Amino acid sequence: MTTESVIETYDLAKHFRKIRAVDGISFRVEPGQIFGFLGPNGSGKTTTIGMLLGIITPTAGSFSLFGGRSEHASEIHAARQRIGATLESPNFYPYLSGRDNLRIVANVKGKTEKDIDHVLAVVGLSRRQKTRFKAFSLGMKQRLALAATILGDPELVILDEPANGLDPEGMREIRHIIAELSELGKTIFLSSHLLGEVERTCTHVAIIKEGKIVRQASVKEITSETTIAGLRGGESPETLKHFMEVYPGAVSARVEEDTVIVELADADLSTLNRFVADRGVYLSHLALRQRTLEDVFMEATGGGEGGMGEIAEIA
Amino acid sequence: MIGALVRNETRKTLKRLATWVTLGFFTFVLVMSFGGEYFDARREPDETFALPSAWSEILGEQSFVGLVFGSVLLVLLISSEFSWRTARQNVIDGLTKEQWFVGKTLLLPALAILFVGVQVVIGGGFALAGTDLSATSEPLMGGLQWKAIGGLLLAWMALGSMGVAAAMATRSPGPAMAVWFSYVALGENLLRAGLSQLGEWIEPALRFLPFALARTLTVYQRWQLPAEGPIEEMASRVAVVDTGTLVLANLAWIAFFLLVSFLWFRRRDL
Repeated sequence: MTTESVIETYDLAKHFRKIRAVDGISFRVEPGQIFGFLGPNGSGKTTTIGMLLGIITPTAGSFSLFGGRSEHASEIHAARQRIGATLESPNFYPYLSGRDNLRIVANVKGKTEKDIDHVLAVVGLSRRQKTRFKAFSLGMKQRLALAATILGDPELVILDEPANGLDPEGMREIRHIIAELSELGKTIFLSSHLLGEVERTCTHVAIIKEGKIVRQASVKEITSETTIAGLRGGESPETLKHFMEVYPGAVSARVEEDTVIVELADADLSTLNRFVADRGVYLSHLALRQRTLEDVFMEATGGGEGGMGEIAEIA
Repeated sequence: MIGALVRNETRKTLKRLATWVTLGFFTFVLVMSFGGEYFDARREPDETFALPSAWSEILGEQSFVGLVFGSVLLVLLISSEFSWRTARQNVIDGLTKEQWFVGKTLLLPALAILFVGVQVVIGGGFALAGTDLSATSEPLMGGLQWKAIGGLLLAWMALGSMGVAAAMATRSPGPAMAVWFSYVALGENLLRAGLSQLGEWIEPALRFLPFALARTLTVYQRWQLPAEGPIEEMASRVAVVDTGTLVLANLAWIAFFLLVSFLWFRRRDL
């Protein structure tokens, strides 16, 4: 028996005249997952979330939320009562205070003043609750949006770029809140372009490019598929790259400045070292690191070559 | 859910500066107008500004100014929900599109009652101050005045519903106000002129254009018919003389504009 999904889409599509913003995507989010929804700007992330939240009408396909099908208005409306979400930038009444804005949300969600106190404390806005929204910094606006999102004690939290405008401390707090929500058993659907944040926070990811899902797996699975190595040695990097292209354990190879970046199917460095030595090349530098989500993202979206970043030198 | 909608719309409306600026300016205009009448009557023995005769001025055609003020506020309150993207957020927070629309529709009668109420209280207050109660045998307010107030409320709702449609169509305060003003100030006259070129057969239908119909409701003397005024004379001043037809036609326009607004709102993405 399969568990009921929290979100499931079936060839969901949205076309704006000739533009296929979302082009028949299917994915599934299970209860308790922290699901990262990644993609370059304009790839269809917000449009997809907008369809799930009922503010954008799909052109084709369908979806279900907590088992309620999008074709049945009453089912989907009931399911949406179990969701807290913020889309793109925080949208509030600029002339109302932070607390009054939350009162508007609380009225809709049937929550009390005490609940407002609680979420203000969670996001650290208790002392600024009487300040008008228009006087908030971007970071405070993001916190207020997060407060509104979790106000209804939702089972599914959808966050679209929640770390936008936050300083490192603010981002750490958001990560902490997401982790706490996850511990409480909430399902979290997180759209973000901060790949490091997603890798640290999410359990599963889907990568969308030009309206299509190009990759979907658990973060663990996606980052442990291969290992990245940086090599230097021999007369030129091009020669080394040529050898790496024919090395049986290499998935891909490219040159970055004077270093050859190799994606390896396993981390058997002694075999690799012997392989190049047999061809008369002796490595002066060999560094290894785990494949990151950024590497996967760049490969999947064709967004350029990933840098070696935090290579841990082992030789 | 209606309770939550009422609480939210009340909070949003009362805490908005534009509400108090509009209401304050409207009050200022009323005080200047009716206060001037009151003081003129005190200075000039031939002038009177006393109840019940003053109702014809308080509830008469000059109350059209209130309709303009109120409609502008209504357009502003609705259209800014789109420019701030709060309409979208309200739906994300759990309202259906239908519930959101109902919330906005509630503003129509609420603002109508508020603006007409202010007009009646300020105008009636000055007139009452100028009334020699010991010398007046007639009731200060009767059925005629209630009919006129009802007519004003209906006119308010009719023009307001046009404002709702303008706000829903343009989704932006500036263009919404421009569309509404253009139609009220010029558009309907141009439309009438254009349509009348089709021939005399269309003339009866042109009496039922929405702005002309709403304006007819603000002609105080029409509520005195048939007892106190010649129908022929009235027929030259107003679009439709028969009260039943007038009320029904206005209600039909209100229903039409709200229905069109709702269909626009429901069909388009937020």
